[in-house]
Amino acid sequence: MFRILKETNINFIGHRRKAFLLSLLLVLLGGTAFVMVLLDKANMGIDFAGGTMLQGNFENPISISDLRGAITGNGFPEASIQELERHNVPNSYIIRVKETTAGEMKAIDRLMQIIQENFAENKFTRDSEHTIGPAVGETLKKSARWAVLISVLGMIIYIGLRFDFRSGVAATVATFHDVLAVLGIFFILNKEITLLVVTALLTLAGYSLTDTVVVYDRIRENLKKFRKKGEFVGTVNRSINEVLSRTVMTSVTSLLVAISLFIFGGEVLHDFALALMIGIVVGTYSSIFVASPIVVEWEAKAPRRFK
Amino acid sequence: MKSQTWRLVITGVLIVLAFIGFWNTLKLWTLSEADKDRMEELKPGSVNELERKSMRLGLDLQGGIHVVLRVMMEKIEPSARADAVERAIQVIRNRVDFTGVTEPIIQKQGDDRVIVDLPGYTDADRAEDIIGQTAQLQFKLMETYENAEILLGKIDSVVAEVRKTDTTQMIADLEESSSEQFETGDITPIDESDSTSDEEDIFAELLGEDSADFEEEFYSSETNPFTQYLEQWLRSSKSGAPWPAYYVLGKDRAKLERMLAMPQVQSIVPPDIQIAWSTRTEVRNAQDVYILYVLKSKVQFLGKYLENIKMGRGQFQEPTVDFRLTGQAAAAFARLTGANIDKPLAIVIDEKVESAPIINSKIRNNGQITMSSGATIQDAKDLEIVLKAGALPAPVEIIEKNVVGPTMGSDSIRKGLISTLIGLALVVVFIGVYYRLSGLIADLALLFNIFFLLAVMAGLHATLTMPGIAGIILTVGISVDANILIFERIREELRTGKTVRASIDAGYNRALLTIVDSHVTTLITAGALFLFGSGPIKGFAVSLFCGVTISLYTAVVITKTIFDIRKGYKTLSI
Repeated sequence: MFRILKETNINFIGHRRKAFLLSLLLVLLGGTAFVMVLLDKANMGIDFAGGTMLQGNFENPISISDLRGAITGNGFPEASIQELERHNVPNSYIIRVKETTAGEMKAIDRLMQIIQENFAENKFTRDSEHTIGPAVGETLKKSARWAVLISVLGMIIYIGLRFDFRSGVAATVATFHDVLAVLGIFFILNKEITLLVVTALLTLAGYSLTDTVVVYDRIRENLKKFRKKGEFVGTVNRSINEVLSRTVMTSVTSLLVAISLFIFGGEVLHDFALALMIGIVVGTYSSIFVASPIVVEWEAKAPRRFK
Repeated sequence: MKSQTWRLVITGVLIVLAFIGFWNTLKLWTLSEADKDRMEELKPGSVNELERKSMRLGLDLQGGIHVVLRVMMEKIEPSARADAVERAIQVIRNRVDFTGVTEPIIQKQGDDRVIVDLPGYTDADRAEDIIGQTAQLQFKLMETYENAEILLGKIDSVVAEVRKTDTTQMIADLEESSSEQFETGDITPIDESDSTSDEEDIFAELLGEDSADFEEEFYSSETNPFTQYLEQWLRSSKSGAPWPAYYVLGKDRAKLERMLAMPQVQSIVPPDIQIAWSTRTEVRNAQDVYILYVLKSKVQFLGKYLENIKMGRGQFQEPTVDFRLTGQAAAAFARLTGANIDKPLAIVIDEKVESAPIINSKIRNNGQITMSSGATIQDAKDLEIVLKAGALPAPVEIIEKNVVGPTMGSDSIRKGLISTLIGLALVVVFIGVYYRLSGLIADLALLFNIFFLLAVMAGLHATLTMPGIAGIILTVGISVDANILIFERIREELRTGKTVRASIDAGYNRALLTIVDSHVTTLITAGALFLFGSGPIKGFAVSLFCGVTISLYTAVVITKTIFDIRKGYKTLSI
């Protein structure tokens, strides 16, 4: 048998106070980011905020700072410009601006004009473009809100059917913790919040809940065997240790998949994969250091046999 | 039968079904461009047919244009707002039909929006014209049958002449290249008259014995290259006089359009005559047909003067479309109709003919268009919408436009494929090394999972998008998790000293509930994203949902079936 982890007996619960501190920090960060999103002050992608994306390639190499200078100096101060790795298409760039119009012109036409004026000798071929009016952004925000609401409701109903009240609350807290943590880290990194990032967050919620469920299932199973008083903390610790190799294995395989998506999946899926990677790590952490310790604390404050 | 036998039978059946579901898509994906061209030559439309039966690629993968329009309600009178979106859709549909896009999507979104997806179409500027312009509704008279026939006859001879010159040119080129072969460096200029006279010899040379048959077919189609596709049908109801309206089979339309677009043909169509297509197809003898009309170019009357357009019933309860005219417009329409009784009046929208009813009597204030026999309520409804679209234009503005270049699409496919394969390979190797033989069983289940998933998506004609590819990759993670749960449990059971057989069974039994749990949470997310996600995100939801559902079978049932092939185990490679 090839094993990464021998039978462990780590006192996870003993470290819960330190973990709570870290989690508190992450949740505060995420909470701030969430409020910023609600107030429309976060770095929202053009799919939510409206704006223009232009993607194309130059015939000859250029310096990205020249391109950035030309665009930001001509009426698009907040433009984001990225070089794009493409198969057989060198000198590809992607330009994103928050505007859809520039004076009388459409932003896309103005961008083309700026490029032609500043790189007259260097032919620029437009490949793709995307213009999203603010009204469409509003609609997308609305449907994103609905998707979040429905999945949160669905998960709470599921938790309610599957667990008793205490562990249900703890599982919900752990799940929110994970989603907020990733959102907070994205906020710190100044990553754009796009529809795909929201999708990744929702997927993570499911993933994180699964991790928590696995630990709780084991706690429940072990509690049936150990009914003596005062053994609660020990049982929880033992359960976490028992499923630890599964937790690690699943995290590693999921990470392998997410990393491959991050490295090879291209621009479209880049931030999506990043959110997944962060989320897998945070989700693993929370199933050990957040979900179970909450139940332990609760039991300590108001003793009651864990079902 | 024992449950093991059942599982084998069911798995076998599923594999066969998956192959059937996947067959067309597999065929399409493995065809090279050259193969496709050959197929298209043997049977026109067969590649399209195959595409229709295969997994669809989203706009982000195959390139294309996605546009969201808003009907500008504030510019429309309140009384005309009710079906403004339907009018806009009808007008766009008429125009998109003529772009040749195979699977366009035109649908209403919300109260005042229209989504238009043109897969594979990347001419952004033309698309904006097609979609964004306000409809023009006009009434025109038809050219007389005699004049039209003369013109069409001329088109025949011009096209034949153009083809003949082209053939001659082709032969001259051929000759030139062959002389080049033999007399390198010394090309004899070929006299055109010379080469024409040699034409038949060369045909004989080129074609050998079959040349006589070939020539016969070649020349017979050349005498009426244009009119051979036309079938006259419209006649006056009283006098029975014929009018120049011709059925054209849907598959022949593109050929005729190419001929009409020839500069030589365009130069012989006089400015006062207009050749126009019907807005859409009709079904005739179980075949789609368009109608080609020969009209007088002069605009006789404008659609904007029509008022109070609505569907009605004629004296025999047949569907009609009624309208009203007032003031000057009524007088003008009375003059027009009074002078042209028993002649057709073409209703032209965006230079396409919606219909050409015969004028029965002079119309002053109340007009009634009776639908021809065999017309359905839907036909009347379409006519009503088109008349309203012209009378009460629904101006639209583009609020989202997404153009994905074709090379961008193929780039995405490539990246999706590479990242999926690498992610899959990493997981397969990792699980294989860690769990040994049992790991290989899990790997096999994983490959089944992906195969079934692709088959289901192909069979359902679902749309694969870039996020959808990410969904497939995530399925790999979730599917493997099920096997990890089982295997870790089996290891634990083995450690307690149970026999291998008992450990396997206990491992599966105890892990099952947890596996179902983990799948349910993912299904909830996928379901919510499916309900509210747009385009690409919906693709993610579809592949995740299907993948996770399938993994419940592949990761649990298929692996267990393999473990159960042997009854007794002394040791287990896990």
